[in-house]
Amino acid sequence: MTDNRTRALLHWVLGGWVLLVILAAFFYAPSATGFKGESARIVFFHVPQAWVAVLAFCVNLVASVRYLRKRNPLDDVRAAAAARLGLVFSVLATVTGSIFANVMWNSFWNWDPREVSIAVLLLIYAAYFALREAIPDEERRASLSAAYAVLAFVTMPFLVFVVPRIYWSLHPDTIIGATGKLKLQMESRMLQTLLGSLVGFTGLFFWLYTLDVRLARVRLARRGREEA
Amino acid sequence: MSGVSVEFKRVGKRFGDRTVLAAVSGTLLPGQVLVVAGPNGAGKSTLLNILAGVLRPSRGEVVYRGSDGPVPRAHWFEHLGMASPDMAVYEELTALENLHLFARLRGLHRSDADLGALLEELGLGSREHSRLVGTYSSGMKQRVKLAQAVLHVPAVLLLDEPSSNLDGAGHEATAGLVARLRERAAVAVATNDPREITWADARIDLAL
Amino acid sequence: MRASTLLSEILAVLAKELTAELRSRVALNAIGLFGLTTLIAVAYQIGPYQIQEQDRPHLLSALLWIILFFAATSGLSRVFVKEEDAHTAKTLRLAARPIAVLGGKYLFNLILLLALDALIVPLYCALMGYAVRGVGGLLLVLVTGAVALAATTTIVAAIIARASGSTTLFAILSVPLVLPLLVMLIQGTRAAAASSELAAVLPALQGIVSLGGAVMIVSVYLFPAVWHD
Repeated sequence: MTDNRTRALLHWVLGGWVLLVILAAFFYAPSATGFKGESARIVFFHVPQAWVAVLAFCVNLVASVRYLRKRNPLDDVRAAAAARLGLVFSVLATVTGSIFANVMWNSFWNWDPREVSIAVLLLIYAAYFALREAIPDEERRASLSAAYAVLAFVTMPFLVFVVPRIYWSLHPDTIIGATGKLKLQMESRMLQTLLGSLVGFTGLFFWLYTLDVRLARVRLARRGREEA
Repeated sequence: MSGVSVEFKRVGKRFGDRTVLAAVSGTLLPGQVLVVAGPNGAGKSTLLNILAGVLRPSRGEVVYRGSDGPVPRAHWFEHLGMASPDMAVYEELTALENLHLFARLRGLHRSDADLGALLEELGLGSREHSRLVGTYSSGMKQRVKLAQAVLHVPAVLLLDEPSSNLDGAGHEATAGLVARLRERAAVAVATNDPREITWADARIDLAL
Repeated sequence: MRASTLLSEILAVLAKELTAELRSRVALNAIGLFGLTTLIAVAYQIGPYQIQEQDRPHLLSALLWIILFFAATSGLSRVFVKEEDAHTAKTLRLAARPIAVLGGKYLFNLILLLALDALIVPLYCALMGYAVRGVGGLLLVLVTGAVALAATTTIVAAIIARASGSTTLFAILSVPLVLPLLVMLIQGTRAAAASSELAAVLPALQGIVSLGGAVMIVSVYLFPAVWHD
């Protein structure tokens, strides 16, 4: 993406897309049956937020592994940028999920395994940044946080897949998990809106991520320490 | 252990915006003592840490060359002995226990007698060998530190201010040790002590 | 350095840790005291009679692991932090292979955890009136739990020792990683207490062993990058 005009065009497209998604979420998609009022509409925002939080985690992992192998400062920049966005989106996902849970079942937290997974992802991001804050030396900060990211990535599958197998049977089945896995049939317009929102949020993530990385790249280049 | 040479080309180190070591080049050859001199803060310790593989240089490279060719960084420590002010030995162990530990870690079997003899050569009487290092004076601790650096007869010896905390007798003992080892080993000494500077076959002066 | 000496190197590190610890007893005191203090506080306030019968299985298994984990975090980071504080880390770095250091220190933390279990668990069962039907199952859960918990806490200790070394940072970094393990341990303990069949703890054991194994493998890969600059 080196052409400024292409970049500007893509920005407009992204902006327009997200606007369309917002409109669709409120006016195009029909009300879902079985939900209190219009509360189901939060799904169009909540699901993509959780998806982006996980996507950011994967981007962070790839950048971390690359840093550990090649020691390129740019990979550390990428890892941190992805983690920053991951933190923001996992907070958003937890909050929107919580709001929805309160509207539907009058309690902000239900200990659904998926709720717990996204909350633990939040804790991992918070720990990642706590670690980075505690290390003044740049190279050490990069390698230690990369190591922690890899370690966290290894333990996450156990929370997401293994624990529910043991834990699931002890808890009431929820109709709609925190990631919005609807057990009801999704009407086609709702599905379109949801997919559109997923695309929009992914685009949002990559736009913000690229901005962050480009800025950090300029800083690094100015210090003359960039290894291409 | 056959000879190992250490070559460093335009090695420098930066922490953030601060340059702690300006680019420097040189070689450590078996049978030679390289003295690294310079005022405090010029980067003598930093250079030695980079040569030891404990610190990564911001620029330049360090190559260890053995009889079979270049030695990978992960294996440098096998050929290396180092003593510096920022290193300590275990205070909850006795001098002998410390040396036994370091010998075992390097895959060596050394008897109490051998290790005791090394400590005595460095001026630590046998009565002290079974006392906890935590009870030692700083001069005695320095002697144990030097002992752990040489017990495996390293091919590369890095000494950072080896006579610090030592009295005249201690300095003599250290000089004797270096004289014995320099026949086979490549030695680098970072120092401002004029007595140690006389050991030099080659010299690098670092500036601030 | 031949592969046949690796075990002897690991044992040399372990022997050093044990000798130093038995002489100073800092970590032992820390985790022992924390464990006992928490246990007594819980037993005094809650005891065997304050919990309703139907809640006992859940609460008793969860409380036990809270006490054990809390005590563990107060002492398991010492194994690396004290090396940095005492300036012996660089000496060790220059004398030993990373995997020998990791192996020796891991075994030390494992022994500490098993000692903690041996101290706290019988006392807990007695003070809280925790009747455990499957003692064999419980022992399996405790041992595999210690193996997995030691693996996670050792690599995290190595990471934070190269940062600020504070116990708070150790706790912050450990919690998200240990959570899945704790859940499985609590579930396994509950299953062991409820049934004398070893098969009852099998699902939890499988999870614990695989998590522990995964962390150990990744630690071996990550440790050199953490230990060396």
